[in-house]
Amino acid sequence: MATNQGSFSVEDMKNVQINIGAVVKEADEWDQEMGPFPKPGVATLRSWDHMIANRYKIMYTPADDTCTLCTYGPCDLTGNKRGACGIDQAGACGKIVLIACLMGCCAHAAHGRHLYHWCMDKFGDMKFDMGDEILVDSPLYQTIMGSKPKTFKDFNEGLYYLEEEVVQLLAATHTGQESAFIDFESKALHAGMLDLLGMEICDMLQIVAYDMPRGAADAPLIEIGMGTLDQNKGVLIAYGHNLAAGAEAMIYAENNNLWDKVDIGGVCCTAHDLNRIGLGNGELKVPKGIGTKPKVAGAMGWWRKMIRSGVMDCVMVDEQCVFCDVLADAEKRKIPVIATTDKIMLGLPDRTNDPIDAIVDDLVNFKMPGVAVLDPTKAGEIGIRVAIAVKPKRAEAKIQNLLTEEQFQEGIKKCTTCNECAFVCPPHIRISSLIGDAMKGNLLSFSNMYEVCVGCGKCEQSCPQGINILDLFEYANRQYIKTQKFKMRAGRGPARDTEIRAVGAPIVLGTIPGVIALVGCSNYPNGTKECYDIAKEFVDRGYIVVTSGCMAMDMSLYTDVDGKTIWEQYPGGFDGRNICNTGSCVSNANIGDAAIKVATIFAHRNHRGNFDDIADYILNKVGACGVAWGAYSQKAASIATGCNRLGIPVVVQPHSVMYRRTFIGRADKPEDWMVIDARDGKMQQIEPAPEAMLYIAETKEEAMVEMAKLCFRPSDNSIGRSIKLTHYCDISMKYCGKLPDDWHIFVRDTKDLPLVYKDQMMKELESKHGWTIDWKNKKFISGPLRPADVSFDPTNLARKIRTKK
Amino acid sequence: MADVKLDISPMYEGERIRKDDLWVELGGPKADGFELSLATPMDQIVDGRVTVIGPDLKDIKEGSTIPFGMIFKVGGEKIEKDLESIIERRNHALLSYISGLMHLNQRYDIWMRIGKSLQKKGVTSWVQIFTPVVDLYKAEMPFIEKMEITIITDPARVKTELANAMAVYKTRDARAKGLHDEDVDVFYGCTLCQAFAPTSACVVTPDRPSLCGAITWFDGRAAAKVDPEGPQFPIPKGTAVDAVTGEYEAINDMAAKRSGGEYSVMKLYTFFDAPHTSCGCFETIGFFMPEVDGIGLADRDFKGATPNGLPFSTMAGQTGGGKQVVGFLGMGILYYFSPKFLQADGGWRRIVWMSKGLKERVKAGIDEDMMAKIATEDDAKDIAALKAFLLKVDHPVVNGVTRKVDNKKITEGWKLEDISDEIKEKVMAYIEKTGGDINIDTVKSELALTEGQFMQVVEALQADGVLE
Repeated sequence: MATNQGSFSVEDMKNVQINIGAVVKEADEWDQEMGPFPKPGVATLRSWDHMIANRYKIMYTPADDTCTLCTYGPCDLTGNKRGACGIDQAGACGKIVLIACLMGCCAHAAHGRHLYHWCMDKFGDMKFDMGDEILVDSPLYQTIMGSKPKTFKDFNEGLYYLEEEVVQLLAATHTGQESAFIDFESKALHAGMLDLLGMEICDMLQIVAYDMPRGAADAPLIEIGMGTLDQNKGVLIAYGHNLAAGAEAMIYAENNNLWDKVDIGGVCCTAHDLNRIGLGNGELKVPKGIGTKPKVAGAMGWWRKMIRSGVMDCVMVDEQCVFCDVLADAEKRKIPVIATTDKIMLGLPDRTNDPIDAIVDDLVNFKMPGVAVLDPTKAGEIGIRVAIAVKPKRAEAKIQNLLTEEQFQEGIKKCTTCNECAFVCPPHIRISSLIGDAMKGNLLSFSNMYEVCVGCGKCEQSCPQGINILDLFEYANRQYIKTQKFKMRAGRGPARDTEIRAVGAPIVLGTIPGVIALVGCSNYPNGTKECYDIAKEFVDRGYIVVTSGCMAMDMSLYTDVDGKTIWEQYPGGFDGRNICNTGSCVSNANIGDAAIKVATIFAHRNHRGNFDDIADYILNKVGACGVAWGAYSQKAASIATGCNRLGIPVVVQPHSVMYRRTFIGRADKPEDWMVIDARDGKMQQIEPAPEAMLYIAETKEEAMVEMAKLCFRPSDNSIGRSIKLTHYCDISMKYCGKLPDDWHIFVRDTKDLPLVYKDQMMKELESKHGWTIDWKNKKFISGPLRPADVSFDPTNLARKIRTKK
Repeated sequence: MADVKLDISPMYEGERIRKDDLWVELGGPKADGFELSLATPMDQIVDGRVTVIGPDLKDIKEGSTIPFGMIFKVGGEKIEKDLESIIERRNHALLSYISGLMHLNQRYDIWMRIGKSLQKKGVTSWVQIFTPVVDLYKAEMPFIEKMEITIITDPARVKTELANAMAVYKTRDARAKGLHDEDVDVFYGCTLCQAFAPTSACVVTPDRPSLCGAITWFDGRAAAKVDPEGPQFPIPKGTAVDAVTGEYEAINDMAAKRSGGEYSVMKLYTFFDAPHTSCGCFETIGFFMPEVDGIGLADRDFKGATPNGLPFSTMAGQTGGGKQVVGFLGMGILYYFSPKFLQADGGWRRIVWMSKGLKERVKAGIDEDMMAKIATEDDAKDIAALKAFLLKVDHPVVNGVTRKVDNKKITEGWKLEDISDEIKEKVMAYIEKTGGDINIDTVKSELALTEGQFMQVVEALQADGVLE
């Protein structure tokens, strides 16, 4: 190589040109070769989807046996009957699944579209810069779109693409269009992938615009809980998922030195995002460090309990996951409501163009229960001013609305123990027995059930006596709510490339057995405690544990013997025995991003416009598993479906049958588990790994066993398989008291066996499963499905068969 | 002594035993401690026996810290002295698997804690804790046929045995340090990473440990003994095609075979022509800077930009995936201590810049005469500053590197490609100013030119007829 020329470019590094004196430029063009599928259309990745749907058999659990979508209906679809349009039960279910995924996808995409316009208006076009440690800065975008966004403006192309695809997909749900369930599923997988893209666009835009942490393992520990809100100040609540108005409120409070008069508390994902603002190290267009000033009031599931506590003075809602009766609940308690986006206007007058003083005056004097103000800056100022001014005026209403002891006693006396409430209660709380204990003067039962209650309010509606049961909960837990205070790590954003690189060796050596992602909300029975338990189990076992959104908040409610939350117990890196909070719901994209980065960084896979290749890599090589433990929303449906298309399995809890569809592999059908060995193109039988794509577990114990199993991948080396099997068996022993029934099918070699169970298992393989063993050399003579082979290169794509150079 | 079943699992590896849960503390900052594994003839081992010299666990005062030693005698047909340290290094993981036992550090530095949870389980003796350790070892390393454990808690005996152990460590270290590629006839290949990077194939030799930092030649040897057909396998060395660059036919064959024909030549000690492949998890990266004809080195933790304007992640992003990338090379920390470190390219004489953290970490490996000549981010943040630094310290790249291994001059030093009018004028002005009294130090500091480059200009001026 010539070393003394003026200019020089290194092989495989065409985009960086180094000239004597300095690096003169980074070439505009991305040197990675374009993959086969940039901007895939509805049918582009259909064969990949069909591979998934054929291996992971679809099981539908329709909520309704009829179809009522058109005027032909209702059409009875039971017993292989078809609807008037000709659709069958499976097709009708597939259609509903697709519609649900589209709802979820659109919720995030619309959020991204709003942020795009808002950020361009407020900040102008900004350089898309994720810092020096994140080179693969928009992995999903690059994989799907085949291009690299360089400024905000470039994201517009992604949004346009997404919007076009959504229109095509939604069109397919019209009566008389798509009818085959498998193609509905292919379309649902497409919607899921689009959702991952939409979430990534959202998060990347806000990270750069609001200078959020770019992969900060040491993101600060922030306060969470209603007890963090100072009762001596006006309390403004920002509720929802879109930070725009809440951020403006913060900036207004900062610029006008109002933090001693007002506290801002976030509810649901807006909370995460407000607490990330100004904590990054990029271009700063917002006040530095401002993200540490607002508080995290709590997760969406706590809403009805929080609003009853009397702590809030003004509520701003933005979008997604806002309870539809927010206005009624607020009005009753004289809490003015400001609707800040056109997604949720609550029937309120649009006062966007009215003078601020007039609006504040109307709200503070209760002339109207709320307003819609679609300009975030205006809404933010109004929120702060109203919260401060209305506080003294609300004092009386606040007292009036808080249950007195007398009212509490009156309420519980009305109970006839008919138990109508228990029947409709999602966590099946025996409310009558809590009331019974309260009659005896013991409020402890109410306290113990506080976290179990999901705050849905169905009990109140079903009570023939008209008891306001949620108010009883509030009364019994008043002190707890007011002092509730925990620590949570602020959202850190993506995994840094350097972190992915650092976990390389431990993943190869098996000391990190996999990546566990806890995603969504934990809105169901014991969901909050159980998400803590699940996270703790896996982080203790050395898995990389990532979480986000309401899960991250909910698991903060619990502490160990030293009084430390999970965030204080473990560091926040993307590493084994660490737990990271990636941020809000849209930050879930970072989890898919990390999986893609493993492929690009370890294997140098080209990801550009190459979605199925990357998904194939992840499905066969990256031991990752998601869990949604109590998610209620269609967004969760689309996120899980997107993860599935990317090759990441997901475990969900029992209520998820309402999502109507699972993907379960059949271990008893060997023909389903054939893959190509990319080295020579030969077909190879593999063990069922991962065995399912969407699995419903009945209990957290079953979920943990299943999650450990779903981290198996066909390309595991023996060290990795041995450690993964160890955890699979250990968790089963710990919670089920026995080894799992199917451990042996994952054993290819004696080296795959867990150290602790090795002797016992070898004996069992011989006696119970009929394997023949060379005891002297401790080797299998016959038995395993296939031999362990570290160089095995499994793929489901014929184009990956290697051709010798 | 009751039969107690301990909880043993990798999940307890990260377990910390806090003061309140402490039963007995062993070794650590407050007391002597050591661990020693010894390859021992089979007939001198009573398999599975645990002997205690000194007070047993139940007789030790709760909450106290005691001196502690443990000696593991291991035997088997395939066991040799060189495996001792490999076996010993597994202590940390395997002992940590036991719930209620914390093990930190290694050798004479061990710090262990026994938790009260073991007391509650009914443990009374060291024998109950260490008996299952024998099984763990045999499961992990099937070449161990017999194993016997001696636990020492008698303070005087700990002292004498510690002294013996220190002598063993010293001998081992001397052997590891003194063992070079010439001394062995087998290298080891490692394809563990192929589970993720299908074309990656590493070669591990005594003088070139793996770039992930996890596998030394001794590790490779131990693993290959357990399973000769496994992911770590012997490569009979044969004779070198080129001993300086580290090219071996056997390695080329291995590379071609294991990479599926992706590449066919792979050399051990060079940066430039057919370098070793880089997988995804290298600890540090080396990068060639043509402007100064030298090599820079940065570690993963270095967050800023190197003098070529690129941070670690940018350069690392271009390398990896089991590919050969000329001009960039992933390297393990241990390689910096090797006498063959990039020997074909001039070794340390070719290194011009290192991230400060890395330089500090490997300073014991750096040639002494080069120590002050290698810049860090404190000295140079860009190429111009780096050039000035290298001129000032008279770095070998300035006037040409003579490599140590064979005293061959491999670079010519800096040369001007284009002698511009601007530079000619500057030199003329300098000559006029000094009245022809040339001082090479001021040439460097004022003109940023090497002596050779200065002479190039002078010759050009002579050719122009400006100078005589």
